[in-house]
Amino acid sequence: MAQPAVSPAPAAPAAPNRTHRLRRWLSASVLIGGVVVAVVVVIAALSGLLAPNPNALSLGATLAPPFFQAGAAAGAPLGTDYLGRNVLSLIIAGTPISLEIGLLATTCAATLGTALGLLSGYAGGWVDDVVMRLVDVQLAFPFILMALTFMAVSGPGLAKLIVILILSGWVTYARVVRGETLRLRELLFVESARAVGAPRRRILARHILPNVLPSVLVLAPIDVANNILLSAALTFIGLGIDPSIPSWGGLLANGRIYLNTSWWIATFPGLAIMVTVFGFNLLGDGLRDALDPRSRT
Amino acid sequence: MRIVAYVVRRILQGALVMLVLSIVVFVTIRLTGNPVAGLLQGLSPTKQAIAHLEHALGLDRPLYVQYAAYMWQAVRGNLGQSYSMQVPVTTLIWSRFPATLELALAAIVESILIAVPLGTYAALHRGSTGDLAVRGASLIGISFPNFWLGIMLVLVFSVTWRIFPASGDAGLLSLVLPATTLGLILAGVEMRLVRASVLEVVPQDYVRTARAKGSPPARVLTTHILRNALLSIVTFTGLQFAGLLGGVVIIEDIFAWPGLGQIGLTAVEQRDYPLVQGIVLFFAALLVLVNLLTDLSYLLIDPRIRFE
Amino acid sequence: MARSWSRLLGAATSASLLVAGLAVGSVAQAAHHRPAGVKTGGTLVIGESSADVGNWDPVATYEIPWATVMNNVFEGLTFRNPQLQLQPGLATSWKYLNPTTLQFQLRKGVTFQDGEPFNATAVQYTFNRLLGPAGAKGPEQGNYTSIKSVQVVNPYEVIFHLRAPDPSLLTKLSGYGAVIVPPQYIQKHGAAYFADHPIGTGPFMVTKYVRGSEIVLTRYPHYWRGPAYLQTVIYKFLPEDSTRLADLQTGAINVMQAVPIPDVPLLKSNPAYTTYVAVTPTVYEFGFDVTQPPVNNVLVRRAINMAINVPAIIKAVLKGYAKPISSYQGPLSFGNDPNLKPIPYDPAKAKALLKQAGVKAGTPITIGYDGTDTTFQEVAQAAASYLDAVGFKVTLMPVEQNTFYNQDIPDQKAGQMFEFGWGGWTLDFDNTAYLLYMPKQFYNPSFSNPEVSKLILAERSTNNVAARRQDFYKLDTLLQQLEPGVNLYDTEEIWATSSNVQNFVAPPDDRLWLWHTWVK
Repeated sequence: MAQPAVSPAPAAPAAPNRTHRLRRWLSASVLIGGVVVAVVVVIAALSGLLAPNPNALSLGATLAPPFFQAGAAAGAPLGTDYLGRNVLSLIIAGTPISLEIGLLATTCAATLGTALGLLSGYAGGWVDDVVMRLVDVQLAFPFILMALTFMAVSGPGLAKLIVILILSGWVTYARVVRGETLRLRELLFVESARAVGAPRRRILARHILPNVLPSVLVLAPIDVANNILLSAALTFIGLGIDPSIPSWGGLLANGRIYLNTSWWIATFPGLAIMVTVFGFNLLGDGLRDALDPRSRT
Repeated sequence: MRIVAYVVRRILQGALVMLVLSIVVFVTIRLTGNPVAGLLQGLSPTKQAIAHLEHALGLDRPLYVQYAAYMWQAVRGNLGQSYSMQVPVTTLIWSRFPATLELALAAIVESILIAVPLGTYAALHRGSTGDLAVRGASLIGISFPNFWLGIMLVLVFSVTWRIFPASGDAGLLSLVLPATTLGLILAGVEMRLVRASVLEVVPQDYVRTARAKGSPPARVLTTHILRNALLSIVTFTGLQFAGLLGGVVIIEDIFAWPGLGQIGLTAVEQRDYPLVQGIVLFFAALLVLVNLLTDLSYLLIDPRIRFE
Repeated sequence: MARSWSRLLGAATSASLLVAGLAVGSVAQAAHHRPAGVKTGGTLVIGESSADVGNWDPVATYEIPWATVMNNVFEGLTFRNPQLQLQPGLATSWKYLNPTTLQFQLRKGVTFQDGEPFNATAVQYTFNRLLGPAGAKGPEQGNYTSIKSVQVVNPYEVIFHLRAPDPSLLTKLSGYGAVIVPPQYIQKHGAAYFADHPIGTGPFMVTKYVRGSEIVLTRYPHYWRGPAYLQTVIYKFLPEDSTRLADLQTGAINVMQAVPIPDVPLLKSNPAYTTYVAVTPTVYEFGFDVTQPPVNNVLVRRAINMAINVPAIIKAVLKGYAKPISSYQGPLSFGNDPNLKPIPYDPAKAKALLKQAGVKAGTPITIGYDGTDTTFQEVAQAAASYLDAVGFKVTLMPVEQNTFYNQDIPDQKAGQMFEFGWGGWTLDFDNTAYLLYMPKQFYNPSFSNPEVSKLILAERSTNNVAARRQDFYKLDTLLQQLEPGVNLYDTEEIWATSSNVQNFVAPPDDRLWLWHTWVK
């Protein structure tokens, strides 16, 4: 008969030794993910040096294709845009703000959403109802309308952008975490903790939160990408940040009308997002595996 | 009986949600500016013409009067007339909603068909190249903007290989590209959720118990693992259904799909108050319904869950 | 052999048709005679760049795209052909009995597409409707308020009583709110039905309308000029540029409106397609808020005008698909002085003027623009670099479209310089001049000059074409000296068709006229 795919393991290792713990935390996922993230962060930090003049126009070399196509411009391996600006420089120069938008909005939204989701799922009753109905109102309220309300009259801006992203982003975490919490609440080990009389906070922190974190860590990198893409959408309707600051979202928006002829303007920023998300994802998966002893193969 | 009471309670709350939403939207859309000058822009926006049209549309009345008049008609099923098209809002919604629904459902079905098998496979073969491939592929749907995916699909499958039409909604063939664009985006996220939830379930107690009891592996897979994965997906899909309006707008624009999303964005841009209000309230009603169904399906999927 | 001869004959005939049309433009006679080689019965599928207008009632139309379709379904008393010549339409002749009384002789033998007769009753009904409560909720009424009443003299003669002289009235009667609608049909079916199932006197009738998707027109066999060549015309609403292009490339459409500039070379180099360039009525400028420093000084405004190299921008950003302008109107606009030259590019002189005006290097200037206008964004960025080169420090400020035009500009919050794009289908400078240069108008909160106001009021108080032209020329020169804006360019619109579409004329005002278009 087939062997069970998972060998029965105790709920927690009996006596983890140093190398064992180290191996858990430094899995391939964490290492590769960590390296990718580190590279991106370094590029962001050094962007001033690596791409000192990203907005330099070159009206003579507009829409030059990347290095592997005929007609490429020297010094612009990823091509140039409609005003002759170097796409590679723009992407490098756009790293800090894109990271800021992605990470800050995601972290805040995840924290807020998880907290409310835990509360809602565990407390149940009218608390659950209020929070979930708040989620409904937020979900039904169109993103663009919310953005306009914040920005149309007093003008766009980075801070307002991040606030809007947080306001629209927390609901996903809240709903997912609430769903998880509902399920976990009924499991044996939680029941027993409650029976023993453990305080609610302890149960939430010790038993439930670690088990909903994996879902949050799955959503978070996706959210990073999503927030950058939303900033592109806002730029497209004129609610973007100062256009003299390069950003991946801005590049995507500007490159949209050139997609079927000068595809590189909008494609390479997408790749940049993909690499960044890839890094955070691997890192997140690795951390999740390290956190949850039972999800080891 | 408990279920009935629950459903009734949820419907009442839903009505409250819609009331709150109606006020919020009513006020915020008016904060973002006045439609009249914009509507007259193609012609002669003299100050007299602007004042004249404002009066004709009732926009010079106090806010609470406008709101009361609007709600009075709304509960009778009259959502007013679009300012820019001068067509009843209900007509616009009824005539366009089926197309959006069709697109949304097709996208969700496609995304589940992609995400569940691939996500489960990735989870069960954790760490293999297959797993990495799935995780990499999911990143494409997540990292690239929806217009990029849509236009690329058109360039490949419409212009280069003449398989599917680039626009319109004539027949099943024209549904493929828009639904696939949206489906890929949804699947990107769902693949990861499925993988994560299957991974969680695999080592847990009841799976081992089931195995110890001697159930064959296939049974173990379907009844226990998938049920849990399904819970994740249901939550997320329920959520996605609501958030779909945002994604659908761009897709409908690109593929000339005559749904609600197509007029939703322009309605906001033109500050077409009745149309914006109508669409938001309509979607809120749908949302309340979908959330209710989602929560009810929790009970079906996992009988141990109770809503205290 | 025979085949290529007939094709040559067909080409020559259609070419001479085109030439004849251009030279004479006379279509007053019913041209039942069809030139040899012309094939009737084809289908034209047009990819429109605008979204579905939603309501086809002439009284309710806000949008220029309405006429792209409806110019083939409805007609007015006058007719303006694609060469912008005003000709008899449903009226055979007209005469001003005095400056506020206009008499029309109506055409006999014309029927609406539902069979009811066209006569003076229909004309009176149309204008009562337009100027009455039915038209009050729509924007078109505001364009025709110079009309006090329409009097029926006999079934084929009407008299328009005007409140004041309206020199552009005859042009305005050729389209939009003034097209003649069928009284019996509307009274029988109601306005809501009419909005979805419009009936007019034109060469094509609406047979199918799928909201959000397409509108289908078929040939009206009893059209008074003679039936059209095409059997069917389908308009598809395809606002997304790349999709519209894809549809042309796959053959789903055979006419494409508004080819984006980056895609033109692709189509131009391909013999399967024909491209057409039409000048549009839409002109672009940077407006100045003349109350804000440093642009409150006319020397500074002139310096800015001289610092921006407009021809280079037209070449680099618009790839040549725009015409430079010397006043805020296009070359086809009545009131444009063809002998007035645009202000030349002279950065040295600009710097000298700035020095004279006492403007220090690094003086900040904010340029506001419509953030959704991707083309203009490029123009603004190029202009900013020119201004930076003469010592300004430019901040670019994209704003959401509605907010920009309807709040920031009127509230003077759009920066010292701001994008302004404008164009009226009447192609008469009066509309623009009044709205932008008369004091305290919605789009003009800051500029005012008594000489300018006098000239504008003079030109609109008379119907005398020569006198108006003189007033306009004086106005153009005066405005160039006062520099209320930086005149940039008149945009061109590029249409593309598959090569078998014949006798297609790209309209300079988006009002397609398809009566004698045909498909090989």
